Amino acid sequence: MTTDERLEILKELLLTNEKEPEKDVYKKIKALENSQKNLSDRIDPLLDERLQQFVTTMPETLGPVITETLKNEIKKSQDAVAEALFPIMGKMIKKYVQAEVAKLSDSINEKINATFSFKSIFKSKSKERPTAAMMLKEEYKAYIEQVLVVEKGSGILKANFAKNQTMDEDMMAGMLTAIKSFAEDAFEKGEMELERIDYQLFTIHLQNFSKYYIAVIVSGIYDDKFKDKLEDVLLDFAQYVINKEDLDDNIIFAKKLKEFFTDERI
Amino acid sequence: MSVSKKIVLLGHFGVGKSSLLRRFVENTFSDNYVVTIGVHIMKKEVVVDASNKVTLIIWDVEGTDDFTKYRPSYLMGASSFVYVFDASRPVTYGDLKFNLGHLKEKHPNVPVHIIGNKVDLVDADEIKKALEEQEVQHSYLSSAKTGENVEQLFKDVAAQLLENA
Repeated sequence: MTTDERLEILKELLLTNEKEPEKDVYKKIKALENSQKNLSDRIDPLLDERLQQFVTTMPETLGPVITETLKNEIKKSQDAVAEALFPIMGKMIKKYVQAEVAKLSDSINEKINATFSFKSIFKSKSKERPTAAMMLKEEYKAYIEQVLVVEKGSGILKANFAKNQTMDEDMMAGMLTAIKSFAEDAFEKGEMELERIDYQLFTIHLQNFSKYYIAVIVSGIYDDKFKDKLEDVLLDFAQYVINKEDLDDNIIFAKKLKEFFTDERI
Repeated sequence: MSVSKKIVLLGHFGVGKSSLLRRFVENTFSDNYVVTIGVHIMKKEVVVDASNKVTLIIWDVEGTDDFTKYRPSYLMGASSFVYVFDASRPVTYGDLKFNLGHLKEKHPNVPVHIIGNKVDLVDADEIKKALEEQEVQHSYLSSAKTGENVEQLFKDVAAQLLENA
């Protein structure tokens, strides 16, 4: 006889009294498990059915109540809702329309450039029949709102020209320089420079020169064609209008800037 | 004569740079601490004398415990630095010499004004003694809360800028 067999016999002899209660407990647990299962078998389908009914009927029963409550709440605070939504919606729509028109205008320009010869375009212009792109351009023209000439590094404003004065131009020059410096530091890409900031309906065009940069605040459609033209105009200004002495005389600089941009060169 | 000059406020976190600036420009003070992120720019015209004024464009740069990490572009083109420490917290002037050395090395021609702020929180004689012991040279002991020496500090900065112009 092995040790295990002997141990079994010993267990039988010693634990005879405990065997019976253990069996009883086991039976009771089994009975409970069975009754729980039976209960679950009966209740689960009922619950599923009720839940399904609730999902189906909820929109019908609660939907009108919720809709009515919302309607009432909106009706009660109509002014507040309109006030909150109007500027957001208006700006979103305007911005979207501007962006889409800019895309359309660029696409038409590309097609015209690709399709028509110089001769036919010249002919069209001479007959004063504007092309679609020209019409769109006229309708959604870009406007120069403000021009700031800012000393590089210090961010000190050298000259300013604005059609409508908005915020303090010295602070604006400083903050633009800070933003520009931050972007240029953060990317650490050597000679790369921030060239443009989009702000809702405005674009800030930034053009760098050796000792200063020019920030032009533009409203309307700022597309590639406008950008090219603006770059040329600013280069002309730096090359032909401003001389070395003007860099040290902010009054002369501002006078020349005003004269140059009042002429609506773009 | 009228000129515009860039001034940069430097110092550890929470020494009261922004409070000094607000006191100087707006003549206001708040006990609520609002941390400066990046840079905040304010300006004020200072009349130095009957025929001369200086427009100070003041860059309040976010505080740092490590001066070597200041963005070089924020300090570029400055005509003057105002180094602010908290007179009630020695940790903010413990590394003053090192930081001044760093500034002098990077910007040798830019004057630095050293200001011990929050002097209202400490005994003036005690702080003077403590600063002497640590060989901390300072231009002013000021308080943005009471306004002590704030106007004078920026007036002196402006006058010095005009002299150097």
